Amino acid sequence: MIEIRNLHKSYSTGQGTVEVLKGIDLTIEQGAITAVVGPSGAGKTTLSHCISLLEKPTSGQVLVDGRNLSALSGQALRSERRAIGTIFQHSALLRRMTVAENVALPLRNLGVVHREMEDRVAELLDRVGLLHKANAYPGQLSGGQKQRVGIARALALRPRILLSDESTSGLDPESTQQILDLLDDVRTELGLSVILITHEMDVVRHVADQVAVLANGRVSEYGPIGALVADPQSGAGRQLLPVRALPLPAGFDYALSVSYRHGPVDPEWLTRLSTGLGVRVALLGGSVEAHGEAVLGRAEIGVAGRPEAEVRSYLEQLGLVADPRDPVSTAAAASTRTATAPPSEGAEREANEKIGVRA
Amino acid sequence: MRPTETAAVGLDTPWADLPALLLPAYGETWAMVGMVMALVILVGGATGVLLYNTDSRGLFPRPRLHGVVSWLVNMGRSLPFLVLMAAIIPLTKWVTGTTIGIAAAVVPMTLAGIPFFARLVQNALNDLPRENMAVGLVTGSSTGQIIRQTQLREALPGLTSAITLNTISMIEYSAIAGTIGAGGIGYLAVTYGYQRFDTHVMAATIVVLIITVQLVQFAGDRISRALLRP
Repeated sequence: MIEIRNLHKSYSTGQGTVEVLKGIDLTIEQGAITAVVGPSGAGKTTLSHCISLLEKPTSGQVLVDGRNLSALSGQALRSERRAIGTIFQHSALLRRMTVAENVALPLRNLGVVHREMEDRVAELLDRVGLLHKANAYPGQLSGGQKQRVGIARALALRPRILLSDESTSGLDPESTQQILDLLDDVRTELGLSVILITHEMDVVRHVADQVAVLANGRVSEYGPIGALVADPQSGAGRQLLPVRALPLPAGFDYALSVSYRHGPVDPEWLTRLSTGLGVRVALLGGSVEAHGEAVLGRAEIGVAGRPEAEVRSYLEQLGLVADPRDPVSTAAAASTRTATAPPSEGAEREANEKIGVRA
Repeated sequence: MRPTETAAVGLDTPWADLPALLLPAYGETWAMVGMVMALVILVGGATGVLLYNTDSRGLFPRPRLHGVVSWLVNMGRSLPFLVLMAAIIPLTKWVTGTTIGIAAAVVPMTLAGIPFFARLVQNALNDLPRENMAVGLVTGSSTGQIIRQTQLREALPGLTSAITLNTISMIEYSAIAGTIGAGGIGYLAVTYGYQRFDTHVMAATIVVLIITVQLVQFAGDRISRALLRP
């Protein structure tokens, strides 16, 4: 389990101090996949560097199984940081080493004996399905293969936590899916906590159990994916399962934004609504998909024939949450957009403007 | 006209005698360059690694130390070799006990070569992906392991090019050092070719220098390419 407690990180620049992380609190249970999303400049990379212990937080703690690793330095840090395996954005394999040598690097630097090391490297490469590429150089691999080698390397020291920093960015959909499946497998088989830093909402929806939305250096939303999607007020939920709906056609009274609740939903709810209440229903847009055992779904419908309150309470009984579309979805979508305006980029821009003024 | 021509031809060393003159001088040139390069790779290489890693994005950022080293390197690079050679004669004398000959040439050549090589090494390291260092850190490597594995080893093709470039510069400097009686091909060119108007020696030294530089560059490129991985 990894706990992040009131994490602050500031950088001093020529124009003063820029606070990138303004008090992050996150708890990631053992065996869970948590995605950290947010626009560029929200502090994702800084948070990632604090978790991988590449940077020391200004204040706050990174606790792994109760041990505060962010306070360590030198030799103690070197040996404790193997609790966290890191996968980098561009795999970051050493180009002049073979695949096997790359995977062996962490083992070799810890002084693992040669024979044992060979076995472990073979086992790791087998796990990521690249044993036949052991003697190839990274330049001979595809992007997805490189990233799988990166995962093998990150697993070499048997970490408790796997940190993936934009590891699927720039990969084609098929490779992305392979990487996500692999992460899901190792989570299940090795009981790892996985932290997935990403800007790709599809990735999040496919593999994560929970999502933390980072905005302006703070966690603006945090919860299980199902709960966020089921919450019509959640900006993250809307981004996770976007619905591009048609405008309300003529002849309909009002539009509703409908979310599947975290729980059983009658798959025939549209028919039920129409026959049960005797209303006309137009489907304006929608998206329904499986997420593990649960179902994620959002839809927009046009209704004619009965008052809104009655329709909403009927949908409630079917396991759905309905909200009027216009005030919520359009206004909230707009407000989400403002809320996710990149803060540190804003600060940078401000700083640049100051320089511009001075110049 | 004719007598002058005959006289001029008469001053030239006969072609047949050139090898006996050139070969020992060529050996001396390589002795100088070899000695200098050994020192330059050791000290200049270490300085380059220091410059790279004390930088703000290096392994152990030390802005003030970086500034001082960078300033010293720039200073060493700002003097033309001939000026440097003349300026440090007292140091040369103190180190080697003499101001002429091969030993005396090695001191200014080394001093000129170290800052040059330090910058070349720094550049070669700068060309590496920035994540290399993070890889070293998160895999729990020591500082020495990171420098060896993720910096020097990964930069080997670039470092080979740096050594090639520096070696050629040192061959050139050894010729300049010929003016203070350093020996080697340069000394031959100055004493025979320039001061005695010996056209044969002049032509032969030029040909030898051109071929040498071409060969060094060719070999350097080949080695550098062989070190590249797909």
